[in-house]
Amino acid sequence: MQKSTIQFLLINCFLAIVLISCGSVTKKYTPKKLDKTSYTVPYFSDSKTDYVYKTNISVYGNELSGIFIAKKINDTTHRIVFTTEFGNKLMDFEISDTDFKVNSIVSELDRKILINTLKEDFRLLLKKEYLIQEQFENESDDIYKSADGKRDNYIFISKKDQILEKIVHASQTKEKFTLFFSSENNIFAEKIQIIHQNIKLKIELNYFKSE
Amino acid sequence: MQTKIYLFLFLIISGFNLSAQEQKMTDAEIASFKQDVNVVAKKIKTLTTDFVQYKHLDFLSKDIETSGKMVFKEPALLQWQYKKPYNYSITFKNGKILINDEGKKSAVDIGNSKIFARINKLIVGSVSGNMFDDKEFAISYFKLKGQNLAKFIPKDATLKKYIKQIELTFDKEEATVVQVKLLESSEDYTRIVLKNKVINAKIDDSVFTN
Repeated sequence: MQKSTIQFLLINCFLAIVLISCGSVTKKYTPKKLDKTSYTVPYFSDSKTDYVYKTNISVYGNELSGIFIAKKINDTTHRIVFTTEFGNKLMDFEISDTDFKVNSIVSELDRKILINTLKEDFRLLLKKEYLIQEQFENESDDIYKSADGKRDNYIFISKKDQILEKIVHASQTKEKFTLFFSSENNIFAEKIQIIHQNIKLKIELNYFKSE
Repeated sequence: MQTKIYLFLFLIISGFNLSAQEQKMTDAEIASFKQDVNVVAKKIKTLTTDFVQYKHLDFLSKDIETSGKMVFKEPALLQWQYKKPYNYSITFKNGKILINDEGKKSAVDIGNSKIFARINKLIVGSVSGNMFDDKEFAISYFKLKGQNLAKFIPKDATLKKYIKQIELTFDKEEATVVQVKLLESSEDYTRIVLKNKVINAKIDDSVFTN
């Protein structure tokens, strides 16, 4: 009898922990009535623009810098190239919501885990259309929840000037990585940070104008 | 309409002329060109020059332009300072690469990396112009208007993965490099134009730090 009580308590405790962590991604936010069913991201959507950023990547204490280039090459696909400051190409990808192609990668960076991580990051960075299922808010932002396979994306739009400020990619229980945007006009992001919560990876992009 | 056709024909013909300008050198011309370059390169103790770098990627609408200053001191101290549109310097010194990225400093030891040693030698060689090494490259020579052009194809397979071909353009009179073109593929390349060159001004070793 005593044994089963302990078991019961343990299971309850476990359930309580699971339930608390289940709610952890959205528990800070207040649910709100849906005001839209889809959201279109303005950044990276113009096929005439060369999106060129100075890039710093910090991965487990190692620093890597270079130039990040993205260009919309057709309705669904972006080409992404990462070069050194000298111009040597380190990676060259083509990416859409459903497809991914490695055009080239230097052998030092040719690691499945790295490529898959970057694929996830860049796919979210360049994703244009989000279907919204739920809405929340906090003090400063309207927050839209969009299902992404087994996971969800949370899109944060500032209440003050309706600018896309961040996208959180999360499982049911945990935030996986976050994209932070700084944009003056909500057409173009001058600064972007991709920060991973579960691995020590941070990618910073700063737009530069070619003179 | 007719004017348009004439204009079109004119453009095509001048296009032909342009490609025809690249003329293969004779053996005698190659020998004299190499000697001119080697004589000048031997005199170079230090060199500073402004540069503009154009990164050409076939799918972009415009080349990516960055610019700055390059400093070289023999035998193998080399620094590239990018000033626009960002501050970034890379220094090659005693088997090390020293980087200053907007104030953030780092160093990479390349002492044991053969490929980096090769690339370093190649960069130093391409700036001074003295890289006519038949063992390392298959070299071909051309004449242009007021300029000479040497094309280098790496023989080493590893190096070839990074750089398909290097083209050095020389001023005919001065026998110094005015443009470096690094081709990754037929569509993608980096073109570096050197200008305001100063040869043998006094440069202190302390410049070569991050």
